[in-house]
Amino acid sequence: MRRALLIAIAALGLLAPAGAHARDRWDTRVLALVPTPGFPAHAYAHPNGRVYEGTYTNPNGDTVPSRVFEYEGDGTLLRSWTVRGQSLDQSHGVQVATSDGAGRLVLLDKSPPRALLLDPRTGEQTEYAPFPEGAIPNYAAWGPDFSLYVTDYAQGVLWRIPPGGGTPEQWVADPRFDGGEFGTTGIELAADQRTLMVAVQSQAGGAGGNPSSGRIFTIPIQPDGKPGEITQFWESRPADGPDGFGIAKSGNIYIALLATNQLAMIDPQGLEKERFPSAPGGGANGSPVPFDTPSNASFLGTRVVVGNQSYFSGDRTHQAILDVETGEEGLPELVPPAPPRAEPPPEPVAKPKRKWSCKRYKSRKKRRACRRTLAKRRRAAAQRRG
Amino acid sequence: MSESSLTRRGFIGAGAAAGAGAMFAADAEAAKRKRKRRRRRRKKRAPAVRRADVIVVGGGFAGLTAAREVMKAGKSVFVVEARDRVGGRVWNHEFPGGEQGERGAMYVGPTQNRILAMMDSLGIGKFDAYLTGNNVAIIQGDRTEYSDTGPTGTAPNDPTIVAELAAVVTELNEMSKEVPVDAPWNSARAAEWDAQTLESWVRDNTQTERFRSLLPVATRPIFGTEARDLSLLFTLFYIAASGDERNPGTFDRNFNSRNGAQMWRIAGGSQTVAFKIAEELGPGRVKLQSPVRRIEQDGAGVTVRTDKHVYAGRHVIVAIPPALAGRIVYDPPMPMERDQLTQRVGQGALTKVGAVYDKPFWREKGLNGTALSTDHLVNVTFDDSAEDGLPGAMVGFVGGDNARIYARLTEAERRERVLGDFAAFFGDEARNAIEFFDTQWPEEVWSRGGPVGIHGPGTLMEYGPALRQPIGRIHWAGTETSTYWNGYMDGAVRSGERAAKEVLGE
Repeated sequence: MRRALLIAIAALGLLAPAGAHARDRWDTRVLALVPTPGFPAHAYAHPNGRVYEGTYTNPNGDTVPSRVFEYEGDGTLLRSWTVRGQSLDQSHGVQVATSDGAGRLVLLDKSPPRALLLDPRTGEQTEYAPFPEGAIPNYAAWGPDFSLYVTDYAQGVLWRIPPGGGTPEQWVADPRFDGGEFGTTGIELAADQRTLMVAVQSQAGGAGGNPSSGRIFTIPIQPDGKPGEITQFWESRPADGPDGFGIAKSGNIYIALLATNQLAMIDPQGLEKERFPSAPGGGANGSPVPFDTPSNASFLGTRVVVGNQSYFSGDRTHQAILDVETGEEGLPELVPPAPPRAEPPPEPVAKPKRKWSCKRYKSRKKRRACRRTLAKRRRAAAQRRG
Repeated sequence: MSESSLTRRGFIGAGAAAGAGAMFAADAEAAKRKRKRRRRRRKKRAPAVRRADVIVVGGGFAGLTAAREVMKAGKSVFVVEARDRVGGRVWNHEFPGGEQGERGAMYVGPTQNRILAMMDSLGIGKFDAYLTGNNVAIIQGDRTEYSDTGPTGTAPNDPTIVAELAAVVTELNEMSKEVPVDAPWNSARAAEWDAQTLESWVRDNTQTERFRSLLPVATRPIFGTEARDLSLLFTLFYIAASGDERNPGTFDRNFNSRNGAQMWRIAGGSQTVAFKIAEELGPGRVKLQSPVRRIEQDGAGVTVRTDKHVYAGRHVIVAIPPALAGRIVYDPPMPMERDQLTQRVGQGALTKVGAVYDKPFWREKGLNGTALSTDHLVNVTFDDSAEDGLPGAMVGFVGGDNARIYARLTEAERRERVLGDFAAFFGDEARNAIEFFDTQWPEEVWSRGGPVGIHGPGTLMEYGPALRQPIGRIHWAGTETSTYWNGYMDGAVRSGERAAKEVLGE
């Protein structure tokens, strides 16, 4: 009984460590300022509990290759990598879109347009898929068959990369995704694991309504892999600029509004329920860094991490990953299963070299004869070797 | 034996053997036993291979932290340390009454989150550095006393240099914002900045000799070197690194005591952290007096050889400064970048001097023990008294050119010069020290200098990426590899945590 009591007390202690207190909903903290080249877009919350951030496009231009930073969940910088093979004379940048079962990061690169795999264990970078010229691969989500569905910021299309990588096919091209200047943005797989949710920032035509309003659409992935009927799930207010989003276990959606510097919460029926901060524009969130063109909201436990790009003002002190408490758990991301671990090849067993010795002969005569024979053999072997 | 084989010689031989056998049977038996014993003894002498998942080279803060993290992950570890103590560049000094002062690193400050978290987890407290009262500055013969609560912080508030000081510090802070701490060589202006020294930049961007005379007062204690030896890019990186992920680094935070890197001291002396980690690792896990001579690696693992023992593991973390890491033989040899790096990142030349007094007499004069001087062998001093103020202790930094001058003095001359300098700062009572001690870090074989490895022009650009890049199963730690607080205890702890995560494959 006493032991049970102790265990109960210990458990309570574990649940509520000294000094720890639950954070309020929308409590916002700076997880980390992002070093140069800065302009962080999608902050990716990896299933391993870390946060990965790529540096995106500097609108004033730069010739520095993009970087990918690895942070602990508490914001401690661990490692970083330089993206190789970028076209530095063009507008360039990467977003860490997702990860695979081996823990490798899927990077979406702007110039050249491509998907890369970055292995954090080794730093190795390999191409996963090349995109055609003119595409800007933006966000990505795995489908149930582990095809990778990728949005395109330059055009109203969705790309599908076959399982294992390779040339992407244009999976959907629809006028409702055409935002004029902007294409498709955030993408997530819904809890049923067969419906994709895709955001657009504006709409040049097709579905009516205010063209400056963004939207989220749902698209079922049919058993034959083809897209099902596209349905509008939510429409933003004019000039919100909805971008990346995350889905909670409850079905609530948290989406970054980059033009109004806010986060919006949309319920599972597609009704917008809350905005933080309530007023658009200033982005004041109670932390030292206001929302300044926030790019996404990805779940890390009950928090969402937000890549704060500061795209328009280019304010280095705003280029950060923000950590916003939502008070509810995120939906675990579907990632391909880890590939079976390749067993290391067995060590080649060296055939023990036979040692020739004449010591076994007790007779001096025989030993001498033996030595002569061995010397003869050695000479012959040396001759053979040339 | 067949009859046909019985020859005369054989007969005699057989007879002799039989006779000898009869005569010496007991001796032969004894000889056989002796041979057996010798063989057994010889076998024992072969170095035993000690196996663990991870072998850590270096028992300083970085190595011990890495080992602690590895152990926490349920893996086995050995720490192999060359010295007869743990702590590396952190070394307690016991005062006559048993209180602890420091011969090496001694302060922690805001944004040094990893060392502070480490101390918390080990139950080690901190206390405020003594900052009550005025600082002393001697600039080109002029002695002033001033409060460090003013706009210049710890730096002198001499009206003839204040404007220039503010302009230079602001400019350096601004430039440092362009330097990414994880990859300074990636800065847009890296090539331009790494092609010049701090001295050449200061010469081009300042007006007065009086201000320039202050430069060594900063570079000698911070780097153990002269501004002419420091790449501007490295200096900017060092400033950028004087912060954390949420607070950009600034020169002020690096140089200041109040709200800066010299704000708190560690209860029981900073080496206590190392003692506690070693204790946590358990008996037999830290091998002292075992300088590593050779590291071999193949597809299966690593072999680490010391003079007496061989350690085998899946990975090795080399947690020593590049200048020491370059002295180990690697098989296969290191790639060119790594090898060249270790030839270029030399340790600073820093000597720490100290004196112990009955009481901290300077406090009674309204002074806090911090002094800066352009004119003396000791350029900077701090109050190193125990937490309750007794006994009084003063430490000073002698770096760069002055460390070289100091090394040429006799023991008596050193004491006289240092106490004379202390007297110039705080009064003649300084000459009546109970104890005088010094530590010439460049003479410490297992440090080769301090406080940190120095990058001259070109090194960061050409070889910087090799600082942390693992080579197969060899991983690198040590404060020189840290992104934030490079050169500090916090940087060492950070690097150990990072390296442990690398080997754990996380």
